Amino acid sequence: MRNRFFLWILFLSGAVLFVFTLIAAYREIAPEWKRYQAQYKEQIIKLAKDDATKKKAKELVPAVQQIYLGTLNRIDRCMSCHMGVENPMMANAKLPLKQHSGDYLKNHPPDKFGCTVCHYGQGRATNKKEAHAATRDTHWDFPTIPLKYIQSSCTQCHDYEMLSAKGYDNIAKGAKLFMEKGCRGCHKLNGIGGALGKKLDVVGSQPIAYFPMRFVEGDRNTYNWHKQHFTDPRALVPESEMKINVKPEETDLLATYVLSLRAGEMPKDYRRIKGTQTVEKPDEGEALYRMFCIACHTTGKDSYFDEIFNRTIPAIMKPAFLKTADEKYIKKVVEDGRAGTQMTSWKATAGGLTGVEINNLIAYITKDRPSAKPERFDFAGFKTDLKRGEELYNIRCALCHGKKGQGGEGFLGLNLRNPVVQGADPEFLAITVRDGRSETSMPPFGKKGVGFTDRDIADVVSYVKTMSKKK
Amino acid sequence: MKVKIFVLSIILLISQQTGNAFGAEAKKNDPGKKVYEERCQICHGAKGDGKGLVGVMKRSEKTGRMINVEARDFTLAVFRFRSTSTGCLPVNEDFISLINKGIPRSFMPSHKDQLSMEEKKALAEYIKTFSTRWKEEEPCKSIPVKKPRWVGSRSSVEKGKKIYKEMKCWECHGDDGKGKGPKSDTIKDDWGKPIVPFDFTTGATKMGDAPENVYTAYTTGLDGTGMPSYEDSLKEDERWHLVSYTLKLMGKVK
Repeated sequence: MRNRFFLWILFLSGAVLFVFTLIAAYREIAPEWKRYQAQYKEQIIKLAKDDATKKKAKELVPAVQQIYLGTLNRIDRCMSCHMGVENPMMANAKLPLKQHSGDYLKNHPPDKFGCTVCHYGQGRATNKKEAHAATRDTHWDFPTIPLKYIQSSCTQCHDYEMLSAKGYDNIAKGAKLFMEKGCRGCHKLNGIGGALGKKLDVVGSQPIAYFPMRFVEGDRNTYNWHKQHFTDPRALVPESEMKINVKPEETDLLATYVLSLRAGEMPKDYRRIKGTQTVEKPDEGEALYRMFCIACHTTGKDSYFDEIFNRTIPAIMKPAFLKTADEKYIKKVVEDGRAGTQMTSWKATAGGLTGVEINNLIAYITKDRPSAKPERFDFAGFKTDLKRGEELYNIRCALCHGKKGQGGEGFLGLNLRNPVVQGADPEFLAITVRDGRSETSMPPFGKKGVGFTDRDIADVVSYVKTMSKKK
Repeated sequence: MKVKIFVLSIILLISQQTGNAFGAEAKKNDPGKKVYEERCQICHGAKGDGKGLVGVMKRSEKTGRMINVEARDFTLAVFRFRSTSTGCLPVNEDFISLINKGIPRSFMPSHKDQLSMEEKKALAEYIKTFSTRWKEEEPCKSIPVKKPRWVGSRSSVEKGKKIYKEMKCWECHGDDGKGKGPKSDTIKDDWGKPIVPFDFTTGATKMGDAPENVYTAYTTGLDGTGMPSYEDSLKEDERWHLVSYTLKLMGKVK
């Protein structure tokens, strides 16, 4: 009884193995591309207008079509299925036999360019699944790129101006968005930019493993990742601090742009670059502000508590601020950043701005500076009482700035412990406390507001200046 | 000497009269008044009308939505965060608990350790002087909260989802709980200012994000805002199911 049971198992598994062997053999004898080539042959015979073509078609023997591209280090076998790419007779055929759209192949003959150099995909593969490599089990980092991002391939050889002139302006539009949405405030490109985000230099060539794919909807590839990340960064990277302020249709343009940032260069005789191929650094103040500051400081006129950074972002272009803050102070903030906050240091060795550029940027930020100077405070004239300052601070200031002056984390007030505030001129701090910053949440504490005497203010300021030593 | 006493007593009289505009008596040397002036007035204003020197605060949510945060106006004596039924005045414990906890995401800080119990009680009494309602009405009783064990379970979340649909929570809070329902652009609070429905996916509610706090919000309603009370329209169990679904939207249960 028992023996018979095992015999059956043996017989069944033998049968299954046999079936699989048959399937494997069939696949080897009749691969996908042979079927398409047979269809191609049939259609050509049907469409042929003269006998010569018909005769030629009849002589077609099924074979893998392969283009070897020595200088590009590629082997593309795509035309094994896409038989009709160069054949005008196939203009109305269905995919994969259809002729290539447009007249791109006139200037990009397949025997010089191949296919994957623009379209990506796995050139050596001989079936659709592995060649297009869209699914995860193909383990290919660059599946065929969706056509809406295809212009990212053009910049390998062409400049923005030429592409835009011919109507392929997605890439130039994407680059413009990149320049004007403040991306470089956090991301470095060519060594210039902030330090909060990742470097973008070769982001278009980075493999799938580089990106957290867990929450990506649809196929898990870098194209979908970029698009969805521009739509809602925190949907893909929950702890992300990225700020994004773009319209839905602009996400495709930005994705196209970042996908164009690729590693390596095309061989010389392929390149046709005369104009711009990369985003350059402007030197004019407003353009610099847009490139580096606008993502966080927005118009510069609004001071608001930001839940992504968990702190208040100050309004740096408000007249109330500019009236009290002098050039020297603003320059120090821009050059050194504010340690302990997200504000980056922008000097040449950090963010990468030259002295001239920083001056231009400051000239733009301070363009609305009122001509009237604030009334002097004469801080040096006061004999201050630290203990009294501490008492006043703890009742009046700690509500917003935190007991240790830490700011952030649910506190409306700014961080007072950082070197910029600690090293600031006490006269400047005293005037700020006295006059407040109108149209922001910092009220005037002097006689016109809360009612502090000058002595109170001097005491508080002297205490604030010691805060970095407090644990 | 006599003249001095006379001048002093006149000053005292005047100051007492100005302090007595409304409601409960504001005593001189009132510790509540002192605390209020030192710590609260800067946002809530000398008259308790919410028009302090700090003014309107701005908060940008993670989604980029900008929200105006304004200090509570005490003169209408309408309070959002209570333990009493809708339309009722809050009880003293509500004041104390709010002073202790503060209100997350609205810059109302916690004063748990900064003030003594006496000061907190005195402060609550002082806040009551801003509106005549406190003279005319008595606060109701607190609604007891006892969380059933099954809150947050899968079946409870499912039931809550149904109730969310039936009670039209989505009209303001949206199908996905992100606060972008069809009515969300038009609603206004009792002070006539546009109000934004809560985006559950952002995390902590101002009242606190424990299930008990959420239940209280659904039971008492948030008076002065568009958020009604469901004390009468939903049974206790149903409100807890709704809490379960809320916890799911907030990402606190699976």
